[in-house]
Amino acid sequence: MQGLNRRFEVIVVGAGPAGLSAAYILAKKGFHVVLLERGRGVGSKQVFGGRVYSSLLERVFGSLGDAPIHRWVRRERLSIINGERMLTVEYISGGKYSFTTYLGQLASWMAGKAVEAGAIIVDEVRVDRILVEDNSVVGVESGGDTLKADVVVDAEGANRLLLEELGLVEKPRPSDMALGVKEVIKLGEEKIDERFGLRSGEGAAWILAGSVSAYTPGGGFIYTNKDSVSIGVVVSLESGGLVEEPYRLVESMRLNPLLKDIWREGDIIEYSAHLVPERSVRLIPSKLALNNFLVVGDAAGLLLNTGYTIRGVDYAAYSGYLAANAIVEAEEKYGSYSEEVLRRLYEERLKRSMVFRDIARHKAVEMIWENPTMIKQYAALLLDTLGGLYELGESTPSLRETFKNARRKNKVSLIRVMADLVHGVMKA
Amino acid sequence: MHIVVGVKWVPNTQAVRFDPHTGTLIREGVPSIVNPHDLHAVELALKLRERYGGRVTAVTMAPPGAVKGLEHIIGMGVDDAVLLSDRKYAGADTLATSYVIASAIKRMGDVDLIVFGQETIDSSTAHVPAQVASWLEAPYIYYVEEVEAIEDNRIRVRRRLEDLVEWYELEMPAVIAVLMHSQKPRPVRLIHKLRAVLEKPVETWSNEILRLDERCVGLKGSPTVVTKITWMPEVPRKQKIFKGEPKEAVNWLIRRLEEEKILPTCGADKCGEGD
Ligand SMILES: Cc1cc2nc3c(=O)[nH]c(=O)nc-3n(C[C@H](O)[C@H](O)[C@H](O)COP(=O)(O)OP(=O)(O)OC[C@H]3O[C@@H](n4cnc5c(N)ncnc54)[C@H](O)[C@@H]3O)c2cc1C
Ligand SMILES: Cc1cc2nc3c(=O)[nH]c(=O)nc-3n(C[C@H](O)[C@H](O)[C@H](O)COP(=O)(O)OP(=O)(O)OC[C@H]3O[C@@H](n4cnc5c(N)ncnc54)[C@H](O)[C@@H]3O)c2cc1C
Repeated sequence: MQGLNRRFEVIVVGAGPAGLSAAYILAKKGFHVVLLERGRGVGSKQVFGGRVYSSLLERVFGSLGDAPIHRWVRRERLSIINGERMLTVEYISGGKYSFTTYLGQLASWMAGKAVEAGAIIVDEVRVDRILVEDNSVVGVESGGDTLKADVVVDAEGANRLLLEELGLVEKPRPSDMALGVKEVIKLGEEKIDERFGLRSGEGAAWILAGSVSAYTPGGGFIYTNKDSVSIGVVVSLESGGLVEEPYRLVESMRLNPLLKDIWREGDIIEYSAHLVPERSVRLIPSKLALNNFLVVGDAAGLLLNTGYTIRGVDYAAYSGYLAANAIVEAEEKYGSYSEEVLRRLYEERLKRSMVFRDIARHKAVEMIWENPTMIKQYAALLLDTLGGLYELGESTPSLRETFKNARRKNKVSLIRVMADLVHGVMKA
Repeated sequence: MHIVVGVKWVPNTQAVRFDPHTGTLIREGVPSIVNPHDLHAVELALKLRERYGGRVTAVTMAPPGAVKGLEHIIGMGVDDAVLLSDRKYAGADTLATSYVIASAIKRMGDVDLIVFGQETIDSSTAHVPAQVASWLEAPYIYYVEEVEAIEDNRIRVRRRLEDLVEWYELEMPAVIAVLMHSQKPRPVRLIHKLRAVLEKPVETWSNEILRLDERCVGLKGSPTVVTKITWMPEVPRKQKIFKGEPKEAVNWLIRRLEEEKILPTCGADKCGEGD
């Protein structure tokens, strides 16, 4: 049993992007670090695909050359669906800012880096409790076994049972959560290229609003992976938004007459549903550091859910990186992991970073997106305007006339439109 | 006492689907697991170690990925594990499988008791334990629910059949197969799992080590041929939802069932309108 006498300087709880990044950096700096993950294998629970922004990840891992990148997103689409009509705006990007991937594969890749750097990853072990003695964290407890270390990094993700027990966060209210449901449809690389108008290696990210989420606050998304397409819907649980069985939401998106031919002949290979924090700003714990203890990733509320896109992987990785660097610096400069030192080296830096400012900034967008009546009215307004322009009978009305007619039909006054516009811009 | 417990690394059949176009298994994204019934064998072996001392070795014949499964078993508290893995062992039927397992047990030399699960979730032949016993010329009993005593190199077991309970006494070394659902498999523990990762107590034995005649292992050593596999076609969901009073709902449902010719049509409108 000699191995067990090995002392760990750092315990990381949770092998998501946040915990893996922290473990990787710490191991690289020569720390003895053990990462405990309750799931079987790393990333085993998530096959699902999504879109990840690359620049923060590059800061943490250097080159992404051998990362499981499926496609670099080139085509960005935004659509509003109203019944049988759809309005789509497409932006073709010139650079490489984000890529699609299976998040499970990305986590496995990070785990490979961490293990190579010397981190020990132990899966199938759930941490039941963070051990606190004399006001300081001293280790963790799992199934009656205890493991001690100088410092513990909490990377448990959005479901924060450990932080709740420590009293740093409250139990989430349903209104703080959104539900994401998702399917992965296997289609084949060539069909995807053809049907989305992509060149090899290029990807599309597509955001949908309107009747696709049955006008509940939220929206739909479509991402092209290498040979599969991820489709899903994110809905707010607030205001009893959920009227359907979760799987029905994504099913009705899959069967939507405007979309279904895109994945014709495809095979559903994965279905999943997850809770996503909705208003992350409200979910940031009262403190991100205690004596010998740091909180990173989704557990720290570092997730941006704008209602049309979820962004958290790169933030999680970056916060893990900041936490690891703070630990290294605390050890070198202060020889202490006191709350005061860790707050200065981690929490304050994090709060000054872009990650944090983004999360605050995007609140306004969230609000527009969350207002279903507004979406419904504006969707109809826009589509009626365009319908008036394109669906011609005998007369050819002007843009101004069609807009006016559409406003009348949807009972939206010009003043309302102006007010909402100004309101939105001011908030943004 | 040295106990060997045999476990099989199987695809999680609950997650496997058949591709109706090709008639093959869709294994993409389907994780493998330790055959769930084998965890009951592991539990019984660990209980016996607690009662009588000694050590427990897990053994499996499988591709290299099965190391994950053996680490799981070590996480439960098993002392060490042997992975019998070689390209030459691929495509084995139960005869060739049991031959490799029995040969490995012979190589260990000092084994007193061999514990298996009742059957697997992916093939369910329940052949392997009996065949291992035959190769070892050891006594064998299956559906074992409990070991009541081990003394004087004899083991007394209780086996449960549908409507009776039997007690048997076997001379050791013996082979037993444990009744499914008869134990409460213990969870993985932090300290054991940590040891599995740090000390790497899983050995791999290839045919370089076992040196078995290639004609007796893998596909070449397998007289059984699976001639055909078929599957029960998935029934597509109709997905109709009726919202309303229970009474209306019942009438609605009966009409739908009549339409589908699941219920005989009763023709009259009065039908189903009683209270
Ligand atoms: C439906 C959905 C779609 C998303 N799509 C995207 C996307 O396209 N792009 C993007 O950037 N982000 C996306 N996100 C967000 C992203 O997944 C998260 O922000 C990111 O995974 C957070 O990383 P993390 O390491 O903080 O937490 P997680 O990835 O949640 O990892 C936490 C880990 O800790 C483990 N754990 C928890 N408790 C314990 C315990 N007590 N003991 C041991 N282990 C424990 C968990 O098993 C888990 O592995 C999506 C989220 C959802 C729900
Ligand atoms: C797709 C498919 C194709 C197959 N093709 C053939 C074929 O061509 N010819 C053929 O004869 N068979 C074939 N098999 C069956 C295969 O030989 C068996 O899976 C294997 O030999 C074990 O038999 P079993 O799973 O029925 O185990 P059982 O006899 O039901 O297992 C009983 C117990 O024995 C132990 N045990 C079983 N297997 C192992 C193992 N590998 N290592 C350690 N312990 C073990 C476990 O404790 C288990 O609970 C095929 C199976 C599949 C799924």
